[in-house]
Amino acid sequence: MRFLFLTLLALCFVAYPAMARPVSYPGGWTLMSMNDGDAYTLHWHYSPTARYSLGYKFEYQTGPDLTFNGGQLNILVNRWNKPDSQANLYLKSGAGLAHSSKGAYDNETAPAGFVGLSADWEDRRFFTMYENRIFSAGEIEMSFTQKARIGIAPYIGEYGDLHTWLMLEVRHDPEGDKKFVAAPLVRFFKGTNLLEAGVDTEKKALLNFVHRF
Amino acid sequence: MKTIKTFIFAIAFTIVSLPAFAAENVITVEVNGLVCDFCARATEKVIGKQEGVESVKVDLTTKHVLIHMKEGHTLSDDVLTGLISDSGYSVSKISRGAE
Repeated sequence: MRFLFLTLLALCFVAYPAMARPVSYPGGWTLMSMNDGDAYTLHWHYSPTARYSLGYKFEYQTGPDLTFNGGQLNILVNRWNKPDSQANLYLKSGAGLAHSSKGAYDNETAPAGFVGLSADWEDRRFFTMYENRIFSAGEIEMSFTQKARIGIAPYIGEYGDLHTWLMLEVRHDPEGDKKFVAAPLVRFFKGTNLLEAGVDTEKKALLNFVHRF
Repeated sequence: MKTIKTFIFAIAFTIVSLPAFAAENVITVEVNGLVCDFCARATEKVIGKQEGVESVKVDLTTKHVLIHMKEGHTLSDDVLTGLISDSGYSVSKISRGAE
């Protein structure tokens, strides 16, 4: 498993590092909900320009039984536009309050924040992505996590068609009970809506949704 | 007789010229980085907001953004390049005329 993860990670870096589009077009709003065995999140953001977005973030982390509410700033550090492909490098950060419901910190609230890099490369057939994040909530929680993805589109559709992607995601949590978790998933993408569903190696569901408006 | 010849010439000139005038209202922009529906939507939204734009059509296969302008309106190359850049992408080529 470790070999597979490192191979995927290497592929992502070789192909270009980048991430999962947390910035929209000028004046665009986006609603994102990402849910897997590690966390359930809701992120609603507005992009004044195509270079950054600001929004609200809710997150529930299953391991430490912790909720986070705060603001999130996403910055497009660079985009590489090529005739048939695109690569992005994003910096994501957030600040707010974390509330714990577990163990010695049960019912405690503390200032919390996170920062991470996200990178992606894709053309219309292939997709690669890598992201990492450091999350801190004082004494309640401190974590470093990262994930990588590769994907392939079995067919190429036009704008407005239903696009389908088959993907494999690997998550790495050095402090977690399971350091590596893999999740095969399918992505459906049509117009301004994106839906992803899968099941990871821990038999936990993955369900993500993005809508731009 | 001269009047008739002039009249016929004027009619013929008008008929021949009409498609050319109409084609002037069509702008094709080749764009780098157009790989998905979100990209297409971004260019559509940003360009579609401009005054004088009748319609915007994105072709992900050719990476072309086809812009139909209303009669008497146009967008300069500089403006188009700026709009595509604002959308988050880059211009490869701009051509005007027939689709």
